[in-house]
Amino acid sequence: MGGLSTSLLIGVQALEANQGALNATSNNIANADTPGYTREVAQFTETPESEVNGEVLGGGVSLTGVQSVRDELLNMQIDQQTSAQSSVDTQSTSLQQVQTYFTTTGGDIASALSSFSSSLAELSANSSSTAVQQTALASGQNLAEAFNTAATGLTTVQSAADTQVTQTVAQINTLTSQIASLNGQLWQLQASGQDGGTVQDQRDEDVQQLSQLTGISITQSSTGETITTANGSPLVMGSQSFSLQTTTGSNGMQQVIDSSGNNITSSIQGGQLGGAIQIRDQTIPSYLSQLNTLASQFSTAFNAAQAQGYTSSGAQGGALFTVSSAANAASTISVSNSAQIAVSSDGSSGSNGNVANLSATLTNKLPSGQTAADAYASLVYQVGNDTSTASSNSTAIGDNLLSLTNQQSAISGVNIDEETTNLIKFQTAYEAAARIVSTVQALGTVTLDMGTTQSY
Amino acid sequence: MRVNPNLVPDILAGLQQSQTTLNQALEQVSTGKSVNVPSDNPAAASEIVQNTIETANVDQYTQNVTGVLSQVQAASSALSSVESSLTQAISLGTEGANGTESTANQQSIASQVQGILNSVVTQANTSYEGSYLFGGTASSQQPYTADSSSPTGYTYNGNSGQNSVAVGDSTNVQVNLPGSQIFSNSTTNVLGSLSALVTALQGGNSSAIGTAVSGVTTALNYVSQQSIFYANADSQLNSQETYLQQETVNLSSQQTSLVGVNMAQAAINLSQAQTDNSAALAAAAKVLPDTLLNYLVAPS
Repeated sequence: MGGLSTSLLIGVQALEANQGALNATSNNIANADTPGYTREVAQFTETPESEVNGEVLGGGVSLTGVQSVRDELLNMQIDQQTSAQSSVDTQSTSLQQVQTYFTTTGGDIASALSSFSSSLAELSANSSSTAVQQTALASGQNLAEAFNTAATGLTTVQSAADTQVTQTVAQINTLTSQIASLNGQLWQLQASGQDGGTVQDQRDEDVQQLSQLTGISITQSSTGETITTANGSPLVMGSQSFSLQTTTGSNGMQQVIDSSGNNITSSIQGGQLGGAIQIRDQTIPSYLSQLNTLASQFSTAFNAAQAQGYTSSGAQGGALFTVSSAANAASTISVSNSAQIAVSSDGSSGSNGNVANLSATLTNKLPSGQTAADAYASLVYQVGNDTSTASSNSTAIGDNLLSLTNQQSAISGVNIDEETTNLIKFQTAYEAAARIVSTVQALGTVTLDMGTTQSY
Repeated sequence: MRVNPNLVPDILAGLQQSQTTLNQALEQVSTGKSVNVPSDNPAAASEIVQNTIETANVDQYTQNVTGVLSQVQAASSALSSVESSLTQAISLGTEGANGTESTANQQSIASQVQGILNSVVTQANTSYEGSYLFGGTASSQQPYTADSSSPTGYTYNGNSGQNSVAVGDSTNVQVNLPGSQIFSNSTTNVLGSLSALVTALQGGNSSAIGTAVSGVTTALNYVSQQSIFYANADSQLNSQETYLQQETVNLSSQQTSLVGVNMAQAAINLSQAQTDNSAALAAAAKVLPDTLLNYLVAPS
């Protein structure tokens, strides 16, 4: 049969439960701004009623635990978008650097082509002037140097991306081993019936950081999460991690090797790693090869025009531009010190007959089917377009990501107003439970006083 | 449905966007350019490359026209004086052919014609900025020098080369005629005709003098024809100059439309961006600290 002690018990349980709920609330408030924190909700369960001698007795309340509120599917979408954004951001940063070499400011190829072209036009009117010939030579030199600068600039950005590959792989390995160890902890906690919310928060935060570094794919199984790269090379399986390695490839660039020894460089997508590899192995080589083609074809055409004429001193025109390696024409093109402009078509000092042939190399189409200026202009267009596409992609993905994190925050974020309301609610409940205890105490006193005159 | 309690990411994104717009507006106003890097407008950046090259070329073509025009005018005026010298020689020769002239007079006329010959040679040796105008492409040496072994008394040191100067992408103007064509042509030799007149006058034979005078007349007609070449070059260069001036204007207005900023519009954009940015900041400042706690009275 129920008695005062039952009420006391219910009161004490309620005190404990509300105390636990207050703890959860204060923990939520404390972590309101902690990155990756998922709000926790106290789980009250009513203790089943019991029937004793036909009398139904309430069982009170118990706090079965706190549960963090998360949406795993949303987290996976966020991870994917994070990878995509981090990849375009990495590319965008590199392209911003690249495009400065293609800005018409004075030291670039367009300005050099322009002054070379106009110095040849000047030569047409003053072919025998030594000063004007020197100006034309100096402009040729500037053009060669502008090619060198652009090629060196591209190579610098490329090797920065290469360094980033090595660093990113090292960061990936650190994160995957952390995630594996957190998975282990989580598995133990969950096996002992706990929610493990904080460990899961840390794990999710690490996974999100990992997705910033490279594109990942996550599958859930009974043994826990399996994380692989986008092409399926394992990174984490349950509490075991698999590290990636880098090794210098035949092109001198760092190659990414998975735990089974396969070279997965070209199949890595997304994240900083994917972005850096895209820039290093696709974007910059494409620009460089266009620059090399232009430098090589233009110098060949110009040298051929030189050979058709004679210098002012009557010598057969020699090559003006030297390209030591056609594959690296842009970085190796130079003007030899002894070079002289072949202005004359008949060997006499006053003839300017060959200047027209020299100028024609700028206005005629090169073997590529474009004039030098057109070929360079279309490269400028490509660089500008790639850069602006990368930055507008970044904005678009950023908007998407923002809306996903807003959704996530709507589910898992701490709302101070809500917590404050809870605080009041649990405070009131706690006060009420305390009142139960004091009431039972008063009743107990009354019971003990029964039959005596003495009052306590 | 639960509402996202965390306003910070949204506010930050908004602030960042208005800051970006503000920076862009500021850059446009401070540089006066709407395309500072290729990504601002890839198509315009690529056209700027062409425009820069074309502008530099047109500037140079304009300078070429100016330089070449003076050269052509110098040559043209040299030929004019040759023409008046020849006219003078013809009237002297006609005077000398008159049978009533005494031998002494004929000798004196002969020396006057010799003087004319010398002055024609001087004109043929005209130089402009250090290069001889009538030496073909061998413009660094004097075209005509005295040579007693030559029937005319002068020998031609130049060649028959011709130079063309670029005054447009595909426009070249021929700027010289070699002396061998104007003065010492095998069919109509100006110097030879004068020299023949001197010899005839010295000989005193009226009919020979008459023949020599008609030779000089032919030469005069020939030189007049040749000077048409320079008049043509002059007019071609002048019209090219007009074209190039127009082209300079076109290129510069193209450049402006490619990269230029409409300052009034840019200033409005800047002030709009400033207002937007301040509004975003003010909204953030108002919203962020607002919670239920502000309205609860602390328990006493």
